[in-house]
Amino acid sequence: MGKKWGEQMKNWLTRSMNLPEDVMMDLPRITMIGQLHIYIENHRGLLTFSDKEVRLLLTKGQLLIKGQSFTIKTILPEEILIEGKVEKLVYLEG
Amino acid sequence: MNNQWLAFFQGVIVVYIQGQGAERFINQLIRSRIPVWQVTRHDERTVSFSCSLTHIHKIRRAARDFEGEVRFSKGDGFPFLWKRLLKNAGFVIGALLFLFVILLLSNIVWRIDINGATPKMEHEIRKELANIGVEEGEFILKMDDPETVQKKLLSRVKGLTWIGVEMKGSTFHFRVVEKNEPEEKKQAGSRHLVAAKDAVVTKLFVEKGQAVVKRNQFVRKGQLLVSGFIGSEGNLREVGAEGEVLGETWYRTSVEMPAETHFHLLTGQQVNKHFLELGEFSLPIWGFKSHSFAHYKKEEQEHSISFLGFSLPIKYNKHTYYESEQSLRSYTRQEAEKRALEAAREDLKAKLSEKAAIQGEKILQREFRNGKVKLSVHFQVLENIAVGKPITQGDRENARKKHNEHSTREPE
Repeated sequence: MGKKWGEQMKNWLTRSMNLPEDVMMDLPRITMIGQLHIYIENHRGLLTFSDKEVRLLLTKGQLLIKGQSFTIKTILPEEILIEGKVEKLVYLEG
Repeated sequence: MNNQWLAFFQGVIVVYIQGQGAERFINQLIRSRIPVWQVTRHDERTVSFSCSLTHIHKIRRAARDFEGEVRFSKGDGFPFLWKRLLKNAGFVIGALLFLFVILLLSNIVWRIDINGATPKMEHEIRKELANIGVEEGEFILKMDDPETVQKKLLSRVKGLTWIGVEMKGSTFHFRVVEKNEPEEKKQAGSRHLVAAKDAVVTKLFVEKGQAVVKRNQFVRKGQLLVSGFIGSEGNLREVGAEGEVLGETWYRTSVEMPAETHFHLLTGQQVNKHFLELGEFSLPIWGFKSHSFAHYKKEEQEHSISFLGFSLPIKYNKHTYYESEQSLRSYTRQEAEKRALEAAREDLKAKLSEKAAIQGEKILQREFRNGKVKLSVHFQVLENIAVGKPITQGDRENARKKHNEHSTREPE
Protein backbone atom coordinates (compact mmCIF):
# COMPACT_ATOMS: atom_id res chain seq x y z
CA MET A 1 0.00 0.00 0.00
CA GLY A 2 2.75 2.40 1.08
CA LYS A 3 4.91 1.50 -1.92
CA LYS A 4 2.08 2.10 -4.29
CA TRP A 5 1.38 5.48 -2.75
CA GLY A 6 5.03 6.38 -3.17
CA GLU A 7 4.93 5.40 -6.84
CA GLN A 8 1.93 7.60 -7.39
CA MET A 9 3.61 10.47 -5.63
CA LYS A 10 6.69 10.12 -7.91
CA ASN A 11 4.50 9.88 -10.97
CA TRP A 12 2.66 13.05 -10.03
CA LEU A 13 5.89 14.88 -9.20
CA THR A 14 7.53 14.07 -12.53
CA ARG A 15 4.48 15.10 -14.47
CA SER A 16 3.89 18.32 -12.61
CA MET A 17 7.53 19.41 -12.36
CA ASN A 18 8.64 18.29 -15.82
CA LEU A 19 11.43 16.10 -14.48
CA PRO A 20 12.99 13.43 -16.70
CA GLU A 21 11.22 10.14 -16.10
CA ASP A 22 14.33 7.96 -16.29
CA VAL A 23 15.87 9.75 -13.34
CA MET A 24 12.79 9.82 -11.18
CA MET A 25 11.38 6.42 -11.95
CA ASP A 26 14.44 4.24 -12.61
CA LEU A 27 13.45 3.57 -16.18
CA PRO A 28 15.96 2.64 -18.85
CA ARG A 29 17.03 5.36 -21.27
CA ILE A 30 17.76 3.88 -24.66
CA THR A 31 19.63 5.69 -27.37
CA MET A 32 19.97 4.18 -30.81
CA ILE A 33 21.97 5.36 -33.75
CA GLY A 34 20.20 3.82 -36.72
CA GLN A 35 20.77 0.12 -36.46
CA LEU A 36 24.42 0.46 -35.67
CA HIS A 37 24.56 1.22 -31.98
CA ILE A 38 22.30 0.84 -29.05
CA TYR A 39 23.12 2.52 -25.79
CA ILE A 40 21.14 1.58 -22.71
CA GLU A 41 21.42 3.40 -19.39
CA ASN A 42 19.92 2.18 -16.14
CA HIS A 43 20.08 -1.54 -16.78
CA ARG A 44 20.47 -3.96 -13.93
CA GLY A 45 22.79 -6.56 -15.43
CA LEU A 46 23.47 -8.82 -18.36
CA LEU A 47 21.35 -11.95 -18.57
CA THR A 48 22.31 -13.56 -21.85
CA PHE A 49 24.65 -12.49 -24.52
CA SER A 50 25.30 -13.93 -27.94
CA ASP A 51 25.99 -12.39 -31.34
CA LYS A 52 22.26 -12.58 -32.21
CA GLU A 53 20.60 -11.72 -28.94
CA VAL A 54 21.23 -9.69 -25.81
CA ARG A 55 18.99 -9.86 -22.81
CA LEU A 56 19.27 -7.26 -20.10
CA LEU A 57 17.72 -7.11 -16.69
CA LEU A 58 15.82 -3.93 -15.88
CA THR A 59 14.32 -2.66 -12.64
CA LYS A 60 11.03 -3.91 -13.88
CA GLY A 61 11.11 -6.74 -16.36
CA GLN A 62 13.69 -7.41 -19.03
CA LEU A 63 14.83 -5.97 -22.35
CA LEU A 64 15.48 -8.26 -25.29
CA ILE A 65 17.54 -6.97 -28.20
CA LYS A 66 17.73 -9.03 -31.35
CA GLY A 67 19.95 -8.53 -34.34
CA GLN A 68 23.18 -9.70 -35.88
CA SER A 69 26.87 -9.75 -35.00
CA PHE A 70 26.61 -8.07 -31.62
CA THR A 71 29.63 -6.99 -29.64
CA ILE A 72 29.52 -5.18 -26.34
CA LYS A 73 31.66 -2.13 -26.85
CA THR A 74 31.52 -1.03 -23.24
CA ILE A 75 29.80 -2.32 -20.20
CA LEU A 76 29.56 -0.45 -16.94
CA PRO A 77 27.40 -1.22 -13.89
CA GLU A 78 24.46 0.78 -15.25
CA GLU A 79 25.35 1.43 -18.85
CA ILE A 80 25.95 -0.74 -21.89
CA LEU A 81 26.86 0.04 -25.45
CA ILE A 82 26.17 -2.65 -28.02
CA GLU A 83 27.40 -2.54 -31.57
CA GLY A 84 26.11 -4.64 -34.44
CA LYS A 85 22.92 -4.66 -36.46
CA VAL A 86 19.91 -4.05 -34.24
CA GLU A 87 16.68 -5.47 -35.61
CA LYS A 88 14.24 -5.83 -32.75
CA LEU A 89 13.74 -4.44 -29.30
CA VAL A 90 11.29 -6.22 -27.06
CA TYR A 91 10.20 -5.45 -23.48
CA LEU A 92 9.43 -8.56 -21.52
CA GLU A 93 7.17 -7.97 -18.55
CA GLY A 94 8.68 -9.55 -15.48
CA MET B 1 35.80 4.12 -23.14
CA ASN B 2 36.93 7.69 -22.61
CA ASN B 3 40.32 6.53 -21.45
CA GLN B 4 41.27 4.26 -24.30
CA TRP B 5 44.67 5.88 -24.35
CA LEU B 6 45.23 5.31 -20.68
CA ALA B 7 44.27 1.69 -21.19
CA PHE B 8 46.69 1.46 -24.07
CA PHE B 9 49.52 2.69 -21.89
CA GLN B 10 48.61 0.44 -19.01
CA GLY B 11 48.26 -2.49 -21.36
CA VAL B 12 45.23 -4.37 -22.59
CA ILE B 13 44.64 -8.11 -22.39
CA VAL B 14 42.08 -10.23 -24.15
CA VAL B 15 40.38 -12.79 -21.89
CA TYR B 16 38.63 -15.88 -23.21
CA ILE B 17 36.04 -17.54 -20.98
CA GLN B 18 34.58 -20.92 -21.72
CA GLY B 19 31.62 -22.46 -19.99
CA GLN B 20 28.10 -21.71 -18.92
CA GLY B 21 27.27 -18.44 -17.25
CA ALA B 22 29.73 -16.17 -18.98
CA GLU B 23 27.17 -13.38 -18.57
CA ARG B 24 27.14 -13.86 -14.84
CA PHE B 25 30.89 -13.64 -14.76
CA ILE B 26 30.83 -10.38 -16.70
CA ASN B 27 28.12 -9.01 -14.41
CA GLN B 28 30.24 -9.90 -11.46
CA LEU B 29 33.23 -8.12 -12.96
CA ILE B 30 31.42 -4.92 -13.69
CA ARG B 31 29.80 -4.90 -10.32
CA SER B 32 33.23 -5.05 -8.76
CA ARG B 33 34.18 -2.05 -10.91
CA ILE B 34 36.41 -3.75 -13.45
CA PRO B 35 35.71 -2.11 -16.77
CA VAL B 36 35.52 -4.49 -19.71
CA TRP B 37 34.92 -3.81 -23.35
CA GLN B 38 34.83 -5.45 -26.73
CA VAL B 39 32.73 -8.36 -25.47
CA THR B 40 32.09 -10.87 -28.25
CA ARG B 41 30.63 -14.35 -28.36
CA HIS B 42 32.53 -16.78 -30.51
CA ASP B 43 30.39 -19.87 -30.04
CA GLU B 44 27.91 -21.37 -27.61
CA ARG B 45 30.44 -21.66 -24.82
CA THR B 46 33.08 -19.07 -25.58
CA VAL B 47 33.02 -15.36 -24.88
CA SER B 48 36.00 -13.01 -25.11
CA PHE B 49 36.49 -9.52 -23.76
CA SER B 50 39.24 -6.98 -23.31
CA CYS B 51 40.25 -5.41 -20.06
CA SER B 52 43.06 -3.45 -18.56
CA LEU B 53 46.24 -5.21 -17.54
CA THR B 54 46.09 -3.57 -14.13
CA HIS B 55 42.99 -5.58 -13.26
CA ILE B 56 44.41 -8.97 -14.11
CA HIS B 57 44.70 -10.03 -10.45
CA LYS B 58 41.12 -9.11 -9.70
CA ILE B 59 39.98 -11.10 -12.71
CA ARG B 60 41.98 -14.11 -11.53
CA ARG B 61 40.35 -13.86 -8.13
CA ALA B 62 36.90 -13.64 -9.68
CA ALA B 63 37.74 -16.56 -11.95
CA ARG B 64 38.11 -18.85 -8.93
CA ASP B 65 34.37 -18.74 -8.36
CA PHE B 66 33.64 -19.34 -12.01
CA GLU B 67 32.98 -22.93 -12.98
CA GLY B 68 34.22 -22.62 -16.55
CA GLU B 69 37.69 -21.96 -17.89
CA VAL B 70 39.29 -18.53 -18.00
CA ARG B 71 42.19 -18.05 -20.36
CA PHE B 72 44.28 -14.95 -20.89
CA SER B 73 45.12 -14.44 -24.50
CA LYS B 74 47.23 -11.93 -26.34
CA GLY B 75 48.22 -8.69 -24.79
CA ASP B 76 48.18 -5.36 -26.43
CA GLY B 77 49.34 -1.89 -25.60
CA PHE B 78 52.46 -0.26 -24.35
CA PRO B 79 53.79 -2.79 -21.80
CA PHE B 80 53.57 -5.58 -24.34
CA LEU B 81 55.11 -3.47 -27.05
CA TRP B 82 57.89 -2.65 -24.64
CA LYS B 83 58.42 -6.31 -23.88
CA ARG B 84 58.66 -7.11 -27.55
CA LEU B 85 61.02 -4.21 -27.98
CA LEU B 86 63.27 -5.55 -25.26
CA LYS B 87 63.18 -8.96 -26.84
CA ASN B 88 64.43 -7.39 -30.04
CA ALA B 89 66.87 -5.18 -28.18
CA GLY B 90 69.64 -5.80 -30.66
CA PHE B 91 67.57 -4.40 -33.42
CA VAL B 92 66.59 -1.36 -31.40
CA ILE B 93 70.16 -0.71 -30.34
CA GLY B 94 71.21 -1.01 -33.94
CA ALA B 95 68.61 1.52 -35.02
CA LEU B 96 69.62 3.95 -32.29
CA LEU B 97 73.28 3.48 -33.08
CA PHE B 98 72.56 4.13 -36.71
CA LEU B 99 70.78 7.38 -35.88
CA PHE B 100 73.59 8.33 -33.54
CA VAL B 101 76.25 7.66 -36.16
CA ILE B 102 74.34 9.70 -38.73
CA LEU B 103 73.96 12.49 -36.20
CA LEU B 104 77.65 12.34 -35.46
CA LEU B 105 78.65 12.32 -39.10
CA SER B 106 76.28 15.17 -39.84
CA ASN B 107 78.19 17.31 -37.40
CA ILE B 108 81.60 16.73 -38.86
CA VAL B 109 83.24 18.94 -41.42
CA TRP B 110 83.48 16.89 -44.57
CA ARG B 111 84.94 19.37 -46.94
CA ILE B 112 86.55 22.76 -46.98
CA ASP B 113 86.12 24.64 -50.22
CA ILE B 114 88.27 27.64 -50.90
CA ASN B 115 87.40 29.68 -53.95
CA GLY B 116 89.16 32.56 -55.54
CA ALA B 117 92.56 32.05 -53.95
CA THR B 118 95.87 31.36 -55.58
CA PRO B 119 97.34 27.96 -54.69
CA LYS B 120 99.81 29.63 -52.38
CA MET B 121 97.12 31.58 -50.60
CA GLU B 122 94.95 28.50 -50.39
CA HIS B 123 97.74 26.58 -48.74
CA GLU B 124 98.26 29.45 -46.34
CA ILE B 125 94.59 29.59 -45.48
CA ARG B 126 94.36 25.84 -44.94
CA LYS B 127 97.34 25.96 -42.63
CA GLU B 128 95.81 28.75 -40.61
CA LEU B 129 92.45 26.96 -40.54
CA ALA B 130 94.16 23.90 -39.12
CA ASN B 131 95.62 26.11 -36.41
CA ILE B 132 92.20 27.49 -35.58
CA GLY B 133 90.83 23.95 -35.50
CA VAL B 134 88.80 23.96 -38.68
CA GLU B 135 89.82 20.79 -40.44
CA GLU B 136 88.17 18.04 -42.39
CA GLY B 137 86.98 15.42 -39.96
CA GLU B 138 86.66 17.77 -37.02
CA PHE B 139 83.48 18.28 -35.05
CA ILE B 140 81.57 21.39 -35.91
CA LEU B 141 80.53 21.79 -32.30
CA LYS B 142 84.12 22.21 -31.22
CA MET B 143 84.76 24.98 -33.68
CA ASP B 144 84.20 28.67 -33.63
CA ASP B 145 81.24 29.99 -35.52
CA PRO B 146 81.83 31.23 -39.08
CA GLU B 147 82.04 34.87 -38.05
CA THR B 148 84.82 34.20 -35.59
CA VAL B 149 86.63 32.06 -38.12
CA GLN B 150 86.34 34.91 -40.57
CA LYS B 151 87.69 37.40 -38.10
CA LYS B 152 90.60 35.18 -37.12
CA LEU B 153 91.51 34.45 -40.69
CA LEU B 154 91.42 38.08 -41.65
CA SER B 155 93.71 39.02 -38.81
CA ARG B 156 96.14 36.11 -39.21
CA VAL B 157 96.52 35.55 -42.92
CA LYS B 158 98.51 38.25 -44.58
CA GLY B 159 97.36 39.47 -47.93
CA LEU B 160 93.68 38.80 -47.36
CA THR B 161 91.36 41.66 -48.16
CA TRP B 162 88.15 39.87 -47.47
CA ILE B 163 87.07 36.32 -46.87
CA GLY B 164 83.51 35.08 -46.97
CA VAL B 165 82.84 32.17 -44.67
CA GLU B 166 79.73 30.15 -45.12
CA MET B 167 78.69 26.83 -43.68
CA LYS B 168 76.43 24.71 -45.81
CA GLY B 169 75.55 21.57 -43.93
CA SER B 170 78.86 19.89 -43.29
CA THR B 171 80.88 21.90 -45.79
CA PHE B 172 82.80 25.07 -45.20
CA HIS B 173 82.85 27.45 -48.12
CA PHE B 174 85.43 30.19 -48.23
CA ARG B 175 85.41 32.91 -50.81
CA VAL B 176 88.64 34.81 -50.90
CA VAL B 177 89.54 38.21 -52.19
CA GLU B 178 93.26 38.76 -52.13
CA LYS B 179 95.00 41.99 -51.68
CA ASN B 180 96.51 43.11 -54.93
CA GLU B 181 99.52 44.66 -53.40
CA PRO B 182 101.25 46.78 -55.96
CA GLU B 183 104.71 45.46 -56.51
CA GLU B 184 107.25 47.90 -55.41
CA LYS B 185 108.28 49.85 -58.40
CA LYS B 186 111.80 49.28 -59.40
CA GLN B 187 113.80 52.41 -59.52
CA ALA B 188 112.15 53.77 -62.56
CA GLY B 189 115.10 55.50 -63.99
CA SER B 190 116.22 58.82 -62.83
CA ARG B 191 114.92 60.64 -59.84
CA HIS B 192 115.69 63.29 -57.31
CA LEU B 193 115.44 63.03 -53.59
CA VAL B 194 113.31 65.70 -51.98
CA ALA B 195 112.40 66.52 -48.42
CA ALA B 196 109.29 64.82 -47.05
CA LYS B 197 108.77 67.52 -44.43
CA ASP B 198 110.26 70.62 -42.95
CA ALA B 199 113.47 69.74 -41.20
CA VAL B 200 117.02 70.63 -40.37
CA VAL B 201 119.44 68.37 -42.18
CA THR B 202 121.78 66.66 -39.75
CA LYS B 203 123.42 63.97 -41.83
CA LEU B 204 123.70 63.13 -45.49
CA PHE B 205 124.54 59.73 -46.91
CA VAL B 206 124.41 59.98 -50.65
CA GLU B 207 124.92 56.81 -52.62
CA LYS B 208 124.00 58.14 -56.01
CA GLY B 209 123.37 61.63 -57.14
CA GLN B 210 124.61 64.97 -56.05
CA ALA B 211 123.85 66.52 -52.72
CA VAL B 212 122.31 69.96 -53.01
CA VAL B 213 121.94 70.74 -49.33
CA LYS B 214 124.46 70.92 -46.52
CA ARG B 215 124.41 69.88 -42.89
CA ASN B 216 122.49 72.08 -40.50
CA GLN B 217 120.58 73.58 -43.38
CA PHE B 218 116.87 74.13 -42.91
CA VAL B 219 114.80 72.58 -45.67
CA ARG B 220 111.16 73.01 -46.54
CA LYS B 221 108.86 70.22 -47.53
CA GLY B 222 109.41 69.27 -51.19
CA GLN B 223 112.79 70.98 -51.39
CA LEU B 224 115.42 69.23 -53.49
CA LEU B 225 117.93 67.38 -51.35
CA VAL B 226 119.87 65.19 -53.72
CA SER B 227 119.83 65.92 -57.41
CA GLY B 228 119.62 63.20 -60.02
CA PHE B 229 121.80 65.14 -62.42
CA ILE B 230 125.45 64.32 -62.11
CA GLY B 231 128.54 65.06 -64.03
CA SER B 232 130.26 68.21 -65.01
CA GLU B 233 128.46 70.77 -67.07
CA GLY B 234 129.74 69.36 -70.31
CA ASN B 235 128.24 65.94 -69.91
CA LEU B 236 125.24 65.97 -67.68
CA ARG B 237 123.82 62.56 -66.83
CA GLU B 238 120.67 61.47 -65.15
CA VAL B 239 120.78 58.87 -62.38
CA GLY B 240 118.31 57.55 -59.85
CA ALA B 241 119.42 59.42 -56.80
CA GLU B 242 119.76 57.20 -53.76
CA GLY B 243 120.71 57.93 -50.25
CA GLU B 244 119.56 58.84 -46.85
CA VAL B 245 119.13 62.30 -45.51
CA LEU B 246 118.66 62.45 -41.79
CA GLY B 247 116.89 65.50 -40.63
CA GLU B 248 115.64 66.84 -37.38
CA THR B 249 111.88 67.23 -37.49
CA TRP B 250 109.38 68.48 -34.98
CA TYR B 251 106.13 67.13 -33.77
CA ARG B 252 103.63 68.46 -31.35
CA THR B 253 101.25 66.15 -29.55
CA SER B 254 98.77 66.67 -26.83
CA VAL B 255 97.76 63.86 -24.50
CA GLU B 256 95.30 63.43 -21.70
CA MET B 257 95.70 61.05 -18.80
CA PRO B 258 93.13 60.57 -16.07
CA ALA B 259 94.61 60.26 -12.62
CA GLU B 260 92.13 57.56 -11.59
CA THR B 261 91.08 54.72 -13.81
CA HIS B 262 88.76 51.79 -13.21
CA PHE B 263 89.74 48.52 -14.76
CA HIS B 264 88.12 45.19 -15.31
CA LEU B 265 90.80 42.57 -15.13
CA LEU B 266 90.16 38.92 -15.85
CA THR B 267 91.61 36.77 -13.12
CA GLY B 268 91.92 33.69 -15.30
CA GLN B 269 89.27 31.78 -13.40
CA GLN B 270 86.55 30.47 -15.64
CA VAL B 271 83.54 28.19 -15.48
CA ASN B 272 82.13 26.39 -18.49
CA LYS B 273 78.54 25.31 -18.83
CA HIS B 274 77.08 23.27 -21.62
CA PHE B 275 73.46 23.30 -22.61
CA LEU B 276 71.17 21.67 -25.09
CA GLU B 277 68.52 24.11 -26.16
CA LEU B 278 65.16 23.36 -27.63
CA GLY B 279 63.43 26.60 -28.35
CA GLU B 280 63.08 28.44 -25.07
CA PHE B 281 63.92 25.44 -22.98
CA SER B 282 67.53 24.73 -22.20
CA LEU B 283 68.79 21.56 -20.67
CA PRO B 284 72.12 21.65 -18.87
CA ILE B 285 74.20 18.66 -19.90
CA TRP B 286 77.52 19.45 -18.32
CA GLY B 287 78.88 21.95 -15.85
CA PHE B 288 76.23 22.08 -13.14
CA LYS B 289 78.32 24.02 -10.71
CA SER B 290 77.23 27.59 -10.51
CA HIS B 291 79.99 30.12 -10.48
CA SER B 292 80.62 32.20 -7.40
CA PHE B 293 82.11 35.19 -9.13
CA ALA B 294 81.15 38.59 -7.91
CA HIS B 295 82.05 40.19 -11.21
CA TYR B 296 82.21 38.24 -14.39
CA LYS B 297 82.11 38.38 -18.13
CA LYS B 298 79.85 35.97 -19.92
CA GLU B 299 80.45 34.52 -23.33
CA GLU B 300 78.04 32.38 -25.28
CA GLN B 301 78.83 30.06 -28.11
CA GLU B 302 75.92 28.58 -29.98
CA HIS B 303 75.88 25.77 -32.49
CA SER B 304 72.84 24.24 -34.08
CA ILE B 305 72.98 20.50 -34.47
CA SER B 306 72.30 19.27 -37.95
CA PHE B 307 71.00 15.96 -39.15
CA LEU B 308 71.64 14.94 -42.75
CA GLY B 309 72.10 18.55 -43.73
CA PHE B 310 68.97 19.79 -41.99
CA SER B 311 69.52 21.73 -38.86
CA LEU B 312 67.52 20.34 -35.98
CA PRO B 313 65.67 22.68 -33.64
CA ILE B 314 68.12 21.57 -30.98
CA LYS B 315 71.04 23.80 -30.28
CA TYR B 316 74.21 23.25 -28.37
CA ASN B 317 75.17 26.21 -26.28
CA LYS B 318 78.33 26.75 -24.32
CA HIS B 319 78.44 29.46 -21.71
CA THR B 320 81.74 30.56 -20.36
CA TYR B 321 81.97 32.75 -17.31
CA TYR B 322 85.23 34.58 -16.79
CA GLU B 323 85.86 35.99 -13.38
CA SER B 324 86.79 39.62 -13.48
CA GLU B 325 88.18 41.92 -10.91
CA GLN B 326 87.57 45.56 -10.62
CA SER B 327 90.67 47.43 -9.84
CA LEU B 328 91.38 51.06 -9.41
CA ARG B 329 94.54 52.63 -10.64
CA SER B 330 95.39 56.00 -9.27
CA TYR B 331 98.37 58.19 -9.99
CA THR B 332 99.83 61.14 -8.24
CA ARG B 333 100.33 64.23 -10.35
CA GLN B 334 103.94 63.45 -11.07
CA GLU B 335 103.13 59.89 -11.96
CA ALA B 336 100.25 60.88 -14.16
CA GLU B 337 102.46 63.32 -15.94
CA LYS B 338 105.08 60.68 -16.45
CA ARG B 339 102.53 58.26 -17.83
CA ALA B 340 101.09 60.90 -20.08
CA LEU B 341 104.51 61.62 -21.46
CA GLU B 342 105.10 57.92 -22.07
CA ALA B 343 101.80 57.65 -23.81
CA ALA B 344 102.67 60.60 -25.99
CA ARG B 345 105.97 59.01 -26.86
CA GLU B 346 104.33 55.71 -27.75
CA ASP B 347 101.80 57.56 -29.81
CA LEU B 348 104.45 59.29 -31.79
CA LYS B 349 106.52 56.15 -32.26
CA ALA B 350 103.55 54.42 -33.79
CA LYS B 351 103.36 57.18 -36.37
CA LEU B 352 107.04 57.26 -37.23
CA SER B 353 109.05 54.78 -39.23
CA GLU B 354 111.12 52.26 -37.36
CA LYS B 355 114.43 53.93 -37.96
CA ALA B 356 113.34 57.27 -36.60
CA ALA B 357 114.64 58.23 -33.18
CA ILE B 358 113.25 60.71 -30.73
CA GLN B 359 116.00 63.15 -29.92
CA GLY B 360 114.39 65.31 -27.36
CA GLU B 361 111.13 66.37 -25.85
CA LYS B 362 109.80 69.41 -24.15
CA ILE B 363 106.59 69.93 -22.31
CA LEU B 364 105.02 73.07 -23.62
CA GLN B 365 101.90 73.09 -21.54
CA ARG B 366 100.60 71.17 -18.56
CA GLU B 367 97.18 71.42 -17.13
CA PHE B 368 95.41 69.61 -14.28
CA ARG B 369 91.68 69.70 -14.46
CA ASN B 370 88.83 67.37 -13.46
CA GLY B 371 91.24 64.71 -12.29
CA LYS B 372 93.02 64.72 -15.63
CA VAL B 373 96.46 65.71 -16.74
CA LYS B 374 96.62 67.41 -20.07
CA LEU B 375 100.01 67.75 -21.68
CA SER B 376 101.15 69.39 -24.83
CA VAL B 377 104.55 68.05 -25.82
CA HIS B 378 107.03 69.07 -28.43
CA PHE B 379 109.27 66.34 -29.81
CA GLN B 380 112.46 66.55 -31.76
CA VAL B 381 112.86 63.55 -34.02
CA LEU B 382 115.72 62.38 -36.14
CA GLU B 383 114.49 60.61 -39.24
CA ASN B 384 115.06 60.03 -42.88
CA ILE B 385 113.35 62.81 -44.73
CA ALA B 386 114.39 61.84 -48.25
CA VAL B 387 111.76 60.64 -50.68
CA GLY B 388 112.20 59.93 -54.34
CA LYS B 389 110.75 62.16 -56.98
CA PRO B 390 111.03 61.26 -60.65
CA ILE B 391 112.80 63.76 -62.85
CA THR B 392 110.27 65.42 -65.09
CA GLN B 393 110.69 66.99 -68.48
CA GLY B 394 110.58 70.39 -66.83
CA ASP B 395 113.54 69.51 -64.65
CA ARG B 396 115.49 68.44 -67.66
CA GLU B 397 114.77 71.66 -69.48
CA ASN B 398 115.78 73.66 -66.44
CA ALA B 399 118.98 71.71 -66.18
CA ARG B 400 119.71 72.22 -69.87
CA LYS B 401 119.00 75.90 -69.57
CA LYS B 402 121.41 76.15 -66.70
CA HIS B 403 123.91 74.14 -68.67
CA ASN B 404 123.45 76.39 -71.66
CA GLU B 405 123.93 79.45 -69.51
CA HIS B 406 127.16 77.93 -68.32
CA SER B 407 128.26 77.06 -71.83
CA THR B 408 127.52 80.53 -73.18
CA ARG B 409 129.37 82.01 -70.28
CA GLU B 410 132.31 79.73 -70.74
CA PRO B 411 134.02 81.40 -73.70
CA GLU B 412 134.29 84.66 -71.90
